[in-house]
Amino acid sequence: MGRRLSLLLTGLIAGGGLLSSCSRGDQSASGAVNLKEGVPVGAVLALSGNANVYGQDQRVGLNLALAAMNGNGGINGTPLRLAIEDSGSDDPGANAAMTLQINRGMLAIIGPTLSQQAFAADPIAQRRGVPVVAPSNTATGIPQIGHFISRVSAGSGVIAPLSIAKALQLNPGIRRAAVFYAQDDAYSTAETVVFQKALSDRGLKPVTVQRTNLADSDFQSQISSTLALKPDLIVLSLQGVDGGNLVRQLRELGYRGTIVVGNGMNTPNIYPICQKYCDGLLIAQAYSPELATPANRAFVQAFSKAQAAAGAKGPLIPPQLTAQAYTALQVVAEALQRLDKRKPLKGLSVAAARAALMDEILGGTYQTPLGEIRFTPEGEVVQKDFFVAQVRMNPGGRSGRFALLP
Amino acid sequence: MADLTQLLLNGLSIGAVYALFALGYTLVFSVLGVINFAHGAVFTLGAYFTYLLIGGAVGANGLLAGLQLPLALPFWLALPLAGLAAAAVALVIERIAFRPLRDQGADPLLALITSLGAGVVLVNLIQLLVGAESYAIPTTALAGLPPAIRLLGAQVRTVQLLLLLVAAALLAVLSLWIDGSRSGKALRAVAEDPTTAQLLGIPSGRMIQIAFGLSGFLAGIAGGLVGLSVSIAGPYFGIGYGLKGLGVLVLGGLGSVPGAVLGGLIIGIAEACVPAQLSGYRDVVAYGFLFVVLLVRPQGLLGRVLPTKV
Repeated sequence: MGRRLSLLLTGLIAGGGLLSSCSRGDQSASGAVNLKEGVPVGAVLALSGNANVYGQDQRVGLNLALAAMNGNGGINGTPLRLAIEDSGSDDPGANAAMTLQINRGMLAIIGPTLSQQAFAADPIAQRRGVPVVAPSNTATGIPQIGHFISRVSAGSGVIAPLSIAKALQLNPGIRRAAVFYAQDDAYSTAETVVFQKALSDRGLKPVTVQRTNLADSDFQSQISSTLALKPDLIVLSLQGVDGGNLVRQLRELGYRGTIVVGNGMNTPNIYPICQKYCDGLLIAQAYSPELATPANRAFVQAFSKAQAAAGAKGPLIPPQLTAQAYTALQVVAEALQRLDKRKPLKGLSVAAARAALMDEILGGTYQTPLGEIRFTPEGEVVQKDFFVAQVRMNPGGRSGRFALLP
Repeated sequence: MADLTQLLLNGLSIGAVYALFALGYTLVFSVLGVINFAHGAVFTLGAYFTYLLIGGAVGANGLLAGLQLPLALPFWLALPLAGLAAAAVALVIERIAFRPLRDQGADPLLALITSLGAGVVLVNLIQLLVGAESYAIPTTALAGLPPAIRLLGAQVRTVQLLLLLVAAALLAVLSLWIDGSRSGKALRAVAEDPTTAQLLGIPSGRMIQIAFGLSGFLAGIAGGLVGLSVSIAGPYFGIGYGLKGLGVLVLGGLGSVPGAVLGGLIIGIAEACVPAQLSGYRDVVAYGFLFVVLLVRPQGLLGRVLPTKV
């Protein structure tokens, strides 16, 4: 009996301790903004699962922006505090991470990484009145989720057609296009519509449209039936891991034609996957490391310095996802600075600060690594410059770069 | 004719992976009557072990960030060593997740949960140690061989052909061992009835360890080969194969070694038969086929109907 009682007591104490540690940091929206450890901003990134290749690039960008903002005095003297939460690569993970960040009293959320996750998790933020700045969601309909949702990543409708145009410019003889996309991913399904329209606008009806799933890694059957149709252009709307594997298998099975890839493969993390076979991929981009603006030069310099300090070798060129994540935090920080000057954060409730912050975000103009950007009243980014790059792999096929095409 | 050959080769190369995976499940199921849900994690470890043994470096995320072993073994040597390392992990799983329950006479079904727990711990341990990023075994691992081979008018990736050949060789060795050796027969006796086998002087516990070791070895080899064929997509790499392997196990007949191989090849070919327009629905076809077969033959293709004990 005594042993049972002591076990029960131990269980109750442990359970109570666990609950209190879980609830620590949770804050109601009606309470005042907690500035004890800095101005709280959250991020929801895919740091594990299939999309981790993007989340890792984004984390680098966020940390660089955090250092830059706090190096310049933070939010009018109060440091910015960034809490990053791993969402995994699926919808439930994004929902859980988004809810957690909101409950912690974050004034704004950067993320989630994938459009698919954004369609699941952003409505939670919208319902609870929390500003979201998406650094990488390109699917149609993201800002339309609601007033509190915006993005710094231009939609695929704007960018994707550029790479098709460039492919046809480089090889006017292209006649037979094949299309692949992941049917279970919101980004892929949205982008392929844009790609297919761009092809049909130029008189190219796809000879085949192959539907894959995000978790697929072996494409031998689809490739065999595709290559039997003798395409000279293959257009992929896939994520980094499945796309990288498909590119490698296409080349290994003898495809020598042009490959255009979408934003999902816009990361150097595809290099270890398709290796030497990544060479020659065409991709439209919303960021150029060569953009000659003070904001971009400072960003590139900070990136190179941080990567060199971490032991990275070779040309240290920031990827687009890193630049966009940096931009997202910069937008939030500058909007917070303006808000704090107008209405000091110290006296505001969390709900009021969030609502006012959203108006500041939408009302500003920002000098960022992406160039000058602003937002439409709906939250869609307005950006001037876009680029097309070609992947150039170094000898050995372990590293490479996105070389901008004129 | 070339189309049919292409279809068969495509199906067989996918099916060989499923078969190799399901063989490990089958070995454990045959002696314990339970499915080892940690098998997918051991498969994943096999891929990581192979990557490290050929000189691959750990990325920037994880406690072992930047680690690179002071060796760079050729792939053909790294693969069996990775299989042995995976076998060692499988033995540890048997020791901590299965044996304590067996010793206490617990319901075998409980081992499903402990093995699931062991699998989850392993996967998270991988993430903690080496991060969640993707790794790939360099294509140069097969240096000297062409990336693809033309066979009877069909084009197949060399690595897929290698996978098929290794799976066939392992199956042949395993079948010879089970049917032709004293220890193989002892394993069959334990699978039939462990208590009677024990009374006849066969060390049941030892045979169970052998089954786990072999199962881990096969999973490690399969993981290394699949890692060479496609990238290692993070610690959750083995989960998809684990689910498919379960389907193969049931289709072939629970506990049947030839059944696991036949089931793997049939599911592989069924997937390859899916028309291009419906290629995203391969899983539906594979599992639909499994569903229909089980309605007609619940014991699986080569499984036995067990008499009901009173």
